[in-house]
Amino acid sequence: MGIVTFLPRFLPMAFLTRWVIPERVKMGLGYIPIAILSAIVFPILFFNEGAEVKIQPHYLLSAVPIFIFAWKVKSLWASVVLGMLIYWGLGFFLSQ
Amino acid sequence: MRNADFREGVKAALPIVLGYLPVGMAFGVLARKAGLTTFEAGLMSLLVYAGASQFIAIEMISKGISWLPIVIATFFINLRHLLMSSTLSLYFQKNRFRTFSLLAAQLTDESFAVAMSNTSKVRNRPSYLFGLQMTSQLAWIAGSIGGALFGKLIDHREYGIPFALPSLFICLLVIQINKVRHLWVMVIAGISSIFFKWAFSGNWYILLTGLLASGIGIVIETKLIPSPWTGEVGTNRNNCRADTRNRGEGRG
Repeated sequence: MGIVTFLPRFLPMAFLTRWVIPERVKMGLGYIPIAILSAIVFPILFFNEGAEVKIQPHYLLSAVPIFIFAWKVKSLWASVVLGMLIYWGLGFFLSQ
Repeated sequence: MRNADFREGVKAALPIVLGYLPVGMAFGVLARKAGLTTFEAGLMSLLVYAGASQFIAIEMISKGISWLPIVIATFFINLRHLLMSSTLSLYFQKNRFRTFSLLAAQLTDESFAVAMSNTSKVRNRPSYLFGLQMTSQLAWIAGSIGGALFGKLIDHREYGIPFALPSLFICLLVIQINKVRHLWVMVIAGISSIFFKWAFSGNWYILLTGLLASGIGIVIETKLIPSPWTGEVGTNRNNCRADTRNRGEGRG
């Protein structure tokens, strides 16, 4: 597990730094953070644990205020703390 | 190793620590339930250090699945790091393999995203990234061991723990959006990730979305859409301000 986790993390960093990378590819790599983060965030809101498409109201209702808060304040740790509080608080309403 | 850079990296890891401690604890609890010892749970967090794969591995272990399918699953889950490692490689000149192997071993979605939230700090400063990643992994290991030891005292589904890392990712995503075209890429990536996850089993959707949405990003940036649709948005909300705000509040 350690090795197969390591290889995809290591190989590009070790070799791409030694090659000249075309501008187009660099431009594309610039979008990787947004693309990957979106791919992590959005499925959390629309899939259940069995990987079936199903809107997750608990996550969705917690996510909307965090989107707004993050947009205004841009503080990572405050977003984490507030997100946990909102999710926790919503749990009392949604479980009834 | 430059100490000032390293310390700055350690400070930048605070939000990740907030997320990793509780989620690491959840991992520790579930690892014990799956029959692993506290030592084994800690060792897995030290040697593998990959959240999603570790959760899936203990799930498979608890079902009595043998090591080979677990290793294969781990490999495919972590293929997405190919894209992140490629992106990070842009910020480093020729360093030694030893440096890269250390940085690469500790690369995670979270540390990558925090590093990308202010790229000027990362460029040619391996010590910064090392401080960021080392602190994150220590939190992950500490959480895992803590959860394995004291897991019975807390329920890992309580106290908003399931939403710790999603909140972190949402804020990291928002920080990346500085131009209208970024918003387009986000919307396209969001929709396509849901489609890919629905269409293909496993974790392929992250890799596929990464390739598709960044490809579309290139198309948008090079020609397609006129500038009013793709130009600046909220220029006063750039990374620098986000970062000053972060550090200011961190001290308070």
